[in-house]
Amino acid sequence: MTISQTDYESSSAKGETIMEIRNASVSFDMERGDSRVLDSVDLDVHRNEVLGVVGESGSGKSMLASALLDAIVDPGVLTGDVTYYPKNETPVDVLDLDKQELKEFRWEQVSMVFQGAMSSFNPVRKISTHFIETLNAHDYNVEEGMERAQQLLRDLYLDPERVLDAYPHELSGGMKQRALIALSLILEPEVLVMDEPTAALDLLMQRSIISLLQQIQERYDLTIVFITHDLPLIADLTDRIAVMYAFEVAELGPTEEMLERPAHPYTRLLLKSTPNLESPIDEMQPVEGSAPDPVNVPTGCSFHPRCPLADDTCKMNDPEAYNVDATHHVHCHHWEESADAIPMTESSTSVESPTDRIDRPTTRATRRSGDQPLVSLDDVEVHFEKEKGFFDFFSDPETVKAVDGISLDIYEQDAVVLVGESGCGKTTLGKAAVGLQRPTGGSINYRGEDIWDVHDSGGSGTLDWGEIRRSLQIVHQDPGSSLNPHRRVKTSLEEPLKRWHDDLDGNDRKQRILGLLDHVGMSPPEDYFERYPHQLSGGEQQRVAIIRAMLMNPDLILADEPVSALDVSLRVEMMDLMIQLQEMFDTSYLFISHDLSNARYIAEKTGGRIGVVYLGELVEIGPPEQILHNPQHPYTQALRWATPELELAAGMGDDQTGGSPIRNIDIPDPTNPPSGCHYHTRCPEAREVCKTDSPASYQASDAESHRAACFRTLEDHEYWNSDSIVDEEESFDG
Amino acid sequence: MTDHTIEDLLSDDEPTETPDDGDARTDGGSVTSPFDVVSQYEETRRDRYRKLYDAYVYAPVSIIWKDWRARIGFTIVAFYLLMGTVGPLLVDEAVVAEGPALAQPFENWAYPLGTDDMGRDLFSQVVNATPEMLKMITSGALFTVIVGTTVGGIAGYKGGTADTVLSSITDVFINIPAFPLVMVLALLLPIGGNPWVIGILLCVASWGGLARAIRSQVLTLRQEPFIEAARAIGVPTPKIVFKEIIPHLMPFVVINLTNAARRVIFEAAALYYLGILPFENLNWGVTLNLAYTAGAHYRPQALHWFIVPMVAIVFISIGLILLGQSLDRVFNPRVRARHEKTTEATEDPEEGDGTNTDVVGGL
Amino acid sequence: MATIDWRIRRLAQTVFTVWAVTTLSFVLVRLMPGNPMGAMVRQLEQQGVDPVRARQLVELRLTIDPNEPIPIAYVDYIVNVLSGNLGQSVYYAEPVTQILAQAMPWTLFVLSWSLFISFFIGIVAGALMAYWEGGKFDVGLTSWAILMGSIPYYVLAFLLLIFLAYRLNWFPTSGRAPTGVPAGFNWPFIKGIVHHATLPVLSMLVASGVASLGMRGNSIRVLGSDYLRVARLRGLSDTTISTQYIARNAVLPMYTSFLISIGEMFGGSVVLEQVFQYRGLGYYLLAATYQRDYPLMMGGFVLITVAVVLALLIADLTYGLVDPRAGGQNSDSY
Repeated sequence: MTISQTDYESSSAKGETIMEIRNASVSFDMERGDSRVLDSVDLDVHRNEVLGVVGESGSGKSMLASALLDAIVDPGVLTGDVTYYPKNETPVDVLDLDKQELKEFRWEQVSMVFQGAMSSFNPVRKISTHFIETLNAHDYNVEEGMERAQQLLRDLYLDPERVLDAYPHELSGGMKQRALIALSLILEPEVLVMDEPTAALDLLMQRSIISLLQQIQERYDLTIVFITHDLPLIADLTDRIAVMYAFEVAELGPTEEMLERPAHPYTRLLLKSTPNLESPIDEMQPVEGSAPDPVNVPTGCSFHPRCPLADDTCKMNDPEAYNVDATHHVHCHHWEESADAIPMTESSTSVESPTDRIDRPTTRATRRSGDQPLVSLDDVEVHFEKEKGFFDFFSDPETVKAVDGISLDIYEQDAVVLVGESGCGKTTLGKAAVGLQRPTGGSINYRGEDIWDVHDSGGSGTLDWGEIRRSLQIVHQDPGSSLNPHRRVKTSLEEPLKRWHDDLDGNDRKQRILGLLDHVGMSPPEDYFERYPHQLSGGEQQRVAIIRAMLMNPDLILADEPVSALDVSLRVEMMDLMIQLQEMFDTSYLFISHDLSNARYIAEKTGGRIGVVYLGELVEIGPPEQILHNPQHPYTQALRWATPELELAAGMGDDQTGGSPIRNIDIPDPTNPPSGCHYHTRCPEAREVCKTDSPASYQASDAESHRAACFRTLEDHEYWNSDSIVDEEESFDG
Repeated sequence: MTDHTIEDLLSDDEPTETPDDGDARTDGGSVTSPFDVVSQYEETRRDRYRKLYDAYVYAPVSIIWKDWRARIGFTIVAFYLLMGTVGPLLVDEAVVAEGPALAQPFENWAYPLGTDDMGRDLFSQVVNATPEMLKMITSGALFTVIVGTTVGGIAGYKGGTADTVLSSITDVFINIPAFPLVMVLALLLPIGGNPWVIGILLCVASWGGLARAIRSQVLTLRQEPFIEAARAIGVPTPKIVFKEIIPHLMPFVVINLTNAARRVIFEAAALYYLGILPFENLNWGVTLNLAYTAGAHYRPQALHWFIVPMVAIVFISIGLILLGQSLDRVFNPRVRARHEKTTEATEDPEEGDGTNTDVVGGL
Repeated sequence: MATIDWRIRRLAQTVFTVWAVTTLSFVLVRLMPGNPMGAMVRQLEQQGVDPVRARQLVELRLTIDPNEPIPIAYVDYIVNVLSGNLGQSVYYAEPVTQILAQAMPWTLFVLSWSLFISFFIGIVAGALMAYWEGGKFDVGLTSWAILMGSIPYYVLAFLLLIFLAYRLNWFPTSGRAPTGVPAGFNWPFIKGIVHHATLPVLSMLVASGVASLGMRGNSIRVLGSDYLRVARLRGLSDTTISTQYIARNAVLPMYTSFLISIGEMFGGSVVLEQVFQYRGLGYYLLAATYQRDYPLMMGGFVLITVAVVLALLIADLTYGLVDPRAGGQNSDSY
């Protein structure tokens, strides 16, 4: 898989090359054999571009990042060539540098931001020390350097004084990540390599960092290599995108080309499988199969086992780079046929206008609203008091209002998706709804009876706690920890049957479980039956967890971010499975998601609703069409803005880039939420009245179930006469 | 989110027993779905026994036998167990003047390790002291583990006031130096010579560390999704504790079990040596005491009198350390899976067979 | 906010522990069946001492008045202990506080050296083991550490006593200071006490085995950490990396086992001081038990416990100065 030199030279003529990778391979000597985690990769990075490198976990993308700095961790061995072209100076062969030269190359010319910002700082040293020691190590002037550090932090919307004086554990994840970006720019490097810098962050924070990066890239004339698994996230940011599969570059081209005319079947399938806000949900499909093991990469084209176009050539010959045009290269023998074989509706043509969509699947919702709700939450509050120790009588108890007065009705065969940032209380609300968290205020009713009354009284005539317990189930976010690692699949799955179907004997139970395993695609089921959880993949673990919940034959399942721990290409498949099981078992879902795209997929496919939660309050709820295309609450609008699009510069009429609709990047401290409307500290529309008055939930549009908690939905509210509190000052995190 | 009020979390788990009416209240549910098939599988009683044998006998033994440290530790401990059970039947009690005074070791097979100044066989002294030592070890180690696990477990799982009270008590015991307390108690309490009671006394102040470790483990485990899922299914609390939580605590328990055993040996020998514990029979500590009083430390010809009980003490504690360090692997499902025959042999690249000396608690 | 909180909390915990221990000693002396107080009264009466006088003597010695009702006696006792009055020794006929106060520095001298030397050895050995992880040195040192963990300190003490003191005559076999040298700040005396303390200190070095294994694990963890990788990429000097990054982060967690060692070593001093006839706290505690000198015994017990509890308090509070994360269990901001 080599690209002839000439191809690349012609392509790089457009932009001047700053880094050149040739035939780079990384291998690990493992017991099971030689493991290649980067396989003969050729890639050029152009000066002042933003190059996106996209790949699923285990595609070798992080190795590529490390290779750029010759920073592969032992015992990995990097071979090939990495050349760096400084401006107006002789090229540098990075792999030939001695220790001193390498030290000057790293961080001064090319620096790097790791995924693990949480652990990238020495926990016992202040942030400022990290800056100073870096400046000292490279003989830079510390005073000037620290001024630059302050400016960088300010550019990243951080309060320099506060951040520099803090220890790492005193900063939130988003702050640490931004401080790390500042640290990586302190020596004014030319190239910044970022390895999944936002993966651990919330959507709003991710998006904010992306727009800050755009500003910073222009301000400091940077070249950025941005490595991620999340293609839509970087669609706006990047100039070119490289897609990696199985430790090789599968396709490389300008962003626009890659999104609109991808040539590699993998790219096409990946795009189709990525949930987003615009493309019709029926066209989203999973990529079948799974990514190969580094020791055992398929011969020929490594994608052929999963490729619908594969033939014998693909099995035999590793495809070289074919030129789609001068700037667009693809490693596929059949790239010319891929467009026909894997059609991608040009989303721009298929976008229905919002009004067309509004009354599509709402019929179910309207029909339901007359019925008695299955589960109904009435002004639910969950306040946690930080644990009071025996010797704590000196201090005031701190209360975290995780859920602060939320009402919500869930009907039979309903689906409600709760969306919000981490720490906003959506999971606590969900757990309260399924009776796993006792609320400190308000009531939760199951078929009209308060479940905690039933629990305390030991059961009324019609309903007892056991029945409620059976009816309300949960599927957790992290499949790895939702199964007891000490128990086999068999034991975990027999538990609900033993508990609730004691008429079944061991063999009947086994039969029923095997049937379900087979149904969810885990075949042969006998194989999986005896396994321990660690012998399953993440997707398989999640299936077992879903089956376990389904075996209870529940009425409502709380699905707490069930797909966010899975690889992008598996998410649609898992969501489809859950929707299909919903129909089969006739359950309702309460989904929790931090991602509006996934929320939209579920809600649209099931005709459900999306609810937006902010600091313990339900700020808006309604059918997906309304929430996505007619959001009334400014926070929903911000989330909408933060959700990446696959099309370039699509959006809600915001500025194409930047134009962040939030005034403050960081979420306020939930132990001390802002008064009035909780959102007023970040809201671009906030006025004086929002500081003092807390809005109720108002009808937000014509759609019956669409409600929002914002004064702006009322035409004659005093809000409109109140003074704006938005000023132009830069506001720092509180 | 941080700490929940734990009463709420707990109280979910007392479901009133319901006869299964899952099918009765069918809301169009699944029960008649494709999965409700009559069984084609017959698992015989023999199959089940075979699996039990595999899980509880074959796998642990095969895991232990694969690790050299475990093998040595296991052998040493087994040797002492034999010495404590069968030994006294084979070796007669030491009597005065069965050999010459201060005979050197390895000279006469009638008294292989030599004799003391009253001509008593040292080998016989070591062997005949073993049963009593084993009883002390057993009661002391069990006491530590039971109290530590119970206190830590309740504090962690119940939370609230129970946690506050139990944790404060635990802290007191962690802070108090154990040996002086044991010494004072041994002197002031009428304990007599019962080895079971002595074992407990020696460990009366040493369960704090385990309790604290268990508490923090349980606090973490309680939040684990699989525990929450079990509660959602309606599994009763005792079953959650024994089936879901305890297996995760086993590595701590095992390490602390062997540590407590070592502590009992060390402290018992020390207290007997100091003459604080009352004694009727000779044991390792008493022998040390007699040797010291007789000035064995400066009489070269009596040196072996000193060395023999020391070796007995050091040897068993080496065995216990090695066993403790490797036993936790028995409870690791990844390791188990590779040793159980009934489990598919799947490749498991992440798990190296490497030994880990930095288990919590270490030594 | 959090910092103040945990310090006050920690202080309250210390007070609570001290209270619990003094109460325990009161209960043991006054309330248990066959308790020492009753025994002392009976003993004195048998010796023909007038009952009133006997009770006065007992009160003087134990600071517990046998005539008082229990609650009042208890309050008096606590007040006495807090004001430093631990009663009067029967055997030495001196105030307990005075006897123990002159013994205390000797014990602290041996223990602090033992602690620092064992942890120094442990930390260096552990770091080297981690550096050569899996190599021969690592395997060798690990076996050595396991052996050290299997030897009770008093067994090592006997061995040292037999070979280095009796056989080779390198060190004195007993005592804490040279005879015939005037006590004071002069070289022969200082040399003498160091000479006398060497064997007890060496005996305690068994603790270095545990320490080295702990250090080994910590170092291996730090060597694989993200922040170390970033620090290397940032081009920091090897000195900065090894001291500020590796050493500091690997040594800090050792503090838990350091705390445990404080308590264990204080306990161990009882046996060691007997073996070496070293007249420190433990020696008097033991002598008191032999003589059935209950005031001295209980006083020694209370004092050793208070010393350990205070040492732990000091260690905890100073730890906060070196590790910014100390005490704040939930100090992560949201």
